[in-house]
Amino acid sequence: MKKLISNLVVFVLVLGLFVIPVSAGEDEAVQTYSVWAGSHYTGFGDYTRKVGEYNLGNDEFLPELKGYYRFRDATRLFSFKAHYYDHKNISVDAKGTLSDRFTAELFYRSLTHQQGQDLLANLETREAGGAKILTHELRDKGADYHSDRYEAGAKFNWLVSRDNNIRIMAAHRSVLRRGEEQKIGSNHCYSCHITSQSVNIDKRTHQFEAGVQADVEKFTLGYQFGYRIFDSRAFDPAVYYDSAMHPTLNDLSYKVEFPSRLNYDDTILAYGAYPETEKISHKIRMKGEVGKGQLASSLTFNQTTNKKVELTSDAWAGVLNYAVLLSPRTRLVAKASGTRKSNDDPFIDLRPWREGRPAPVTTPSYVTNFDFTRYSSLDRFEGKISAEVIHRLTPRITLDVLAGFQLIDRYDYPTLDESYQTKRFIGQAKMRYRKGLKYANTVKYRFEKTSDPFRSFRGLFEARGFDVLEPAVTIPTDPPSRFIFYYQREALRYQDITSLPTDYHEFEFSSTYKPNMRYSLTAGMKGKYDKNGDLDSLDVEHLTLQPNLSLTVTPAPRWSFMAGYTFTYNKSRGPVTVALFDG
Amino acid sequence: MSDYKTNSHNIYLTGSFVPTDRLSLAGIIGFNKSKAELETVIMPDITGRLDGALANLDFSFDRMHEYSNLDYEMLTLAVNGEYRLSPLVLLTVEAEYADLSDNTGYVYGIETGSLVFIRTGIRFSF
Repeated sequence: MKKLISNLVVFVLVLGLFVIPVSAGEDEAVQTYSVWAGSHYTGFGDYTRKVGEYNLGNDEFLPELKGYYRFRDATRLFSFKAHYYDHKNISVDAKGTLSDRFTAELFYRSLTHQQGQDLLANLETREAGGAKILTHELRDKGADYHSDRYEAGAKFNWLVSRDNNIRIMAAHRSVLRRGEEQKIGSNHCYSCHITSQSVNIDKRTHQFEAGVQADVEKFTLGYQFGYRIFDSRAFDPAVYYDSAMHPTLNDLSYKVEFPSRLNYDDTILAYGAYPETEKISHKIRMKGEVGKGQLASSLTFNQTTNKKVELTSDAWAGVLNYAVLLSPRTRLVAKASGTRKSNDDPFIDLRPWREGRPAPVTTPSYVTNFDFTRYSSLDRFEGKISAEVIHRLTPRITLDVLAGFQLIDRYDYPTLDESYQTKRFIGQAKMRYRKGLKYANTVKYRFEKTSDPFRSFRGLFEARGFDVLEPAVTIPTDPPSRFIFYYQREALRYQDITSLPTDYHEFEFSSTYKPNMRYSLTAGMKGKYDKNGDLDSLDVEHLTLQPNLSLTVTPAPRWSFMAGYTFTYNKSRGPVTVALFDG
Repeated sequence: MSDYKTNSHNIYLTGSFVPTDRLSLAGIIGFNKSKAELETVIMPDITGRLDGALANLDFSFDRMHEYSNLDYEMLTLAVNGEYRLSPLVLLTVEAEYADLSDNTGYVYGIETGSLVFIRTGIRFSF
């Protein structure tokens, strides 16, 4: 923290060199200063963490200071703003411009955020027949969760040569977050025991960008390199995982049978650890005149690695935008983009299930290996194309029509070597009517038709009928005993589930009437409706309506009033399920 | 299937008045009233499917939906004034009162609380 502040002070002094040597002898220079010095008081009643979420003070006066400085002459501009609210809420911003040759900016800001405690009250204990279905435990009741955020950064832009307009850019940003947060640990289903504890936060993000840009004939070409790292210096939180045993039966055999079905129990393990991320990006850009229009394009490659587990994700992205005047009244904006993402496929090595345990009733033992390779549903190609035509029908009426198509092709989903494609057609029409300053009206309608939105395949609901499962073990008794394990119930799930729509409608209307400079009345309405009609036993839909009204009155030059009302109605329809464990 | 409905009303009134060249006043009144409710969840009747192994369990969830209910009001009152003591010196005064009434509570419990904020100072311009 001290390093950040010292860097800031040094940089402000360097920026100040822009000003000081010349300002003394420059007649045309204009300088403006202002300093505000005062105090603020905050007083709280009852629960403070909602109404005082970003306020540090409590029933006390705290000193507060603001400062502003601006220098300007024919070729230079320098400004400095600073605000000290309290020792956790500070902002400083300094900017300097030297003709068209050099610009620089330095900023620092901090704030504190107080957070409430999840009481876990929804995790309600229910007991039936002695079986504890769910329990929760706040091990840090009344904890003081808060985080202090510090951000500092610098930006430079230097015109190296006016020949070919060669520019160099560089930027840096660091974000630190410290404090305490709530971490919730979940035990396995045998105890359904949820615990909460306080853990330290010490998260750091550093980001650096550098680029070069030049004009080559009709085009502007650019390259930008980006580097970002994130890590947490706090110790990974750890939690005790209960001994695995039957919730109600105190039979000794269960005390060895249950742990054999788990990867771990009766131990303290780290959980909720943050990744250690490194992201490297390269971006090339090109823009310029092509034919009668303007072309802007970019190609980006990102590689992100979680260095803690050496997992890497790569992404290629290309963007092409073209805007052209088709006639003096008509403009076309065409866009195309494509993204390809691929992630490492980690191998998940699990402890053999029921290792060392005999088969039910008789031998040989029944041991299963559930090791698997996790293929990511984020591996995909995503392409978008759209065309928008903006046409001025009359001097007062403008019509805007947009049509687009989006394709998402997910690799290895829902199973290896399978592909799951989502296709979306988009249509939108917008009309604006304006008559001087007196009337301004806008009406817009958007429609999206999606086939096969992302869904979790067979992610929910067991089909009734135990006998549809093949027994894992048939015991040669007379008659034979069929033994079905809990994990086999996975095969009973049948419902593909999603909350994403296949049909989406959006309507928007806004009208402003301003008879003179004293009065202005605006009324509007926004509406959204979506539903998924492809799910066989689910009926998912969402509806939002949002009318609004506002009035501005300026009855006299020294008086002005504004009043407004907004109503929001939202209805979501979806499945409600209850997770059960009967012991 | 169940419906989750939200109703939110938001109303505000602001005003500003400049009685003299030295004094300016402004104020705002804001009020928000929001309510959200999950429809009572009707679980399938499985009475006929309960055998000996499950008969001890209670599959009714009559009050489960109540946890997601929200009902709160937020009132905000704020006034501020500026008085020019001289061409280069300005006195500023601000006051704000916020009152949140949380009638049902949620993840963090009942969040009813109030805030009084007062700020005053002098600005020097050069």
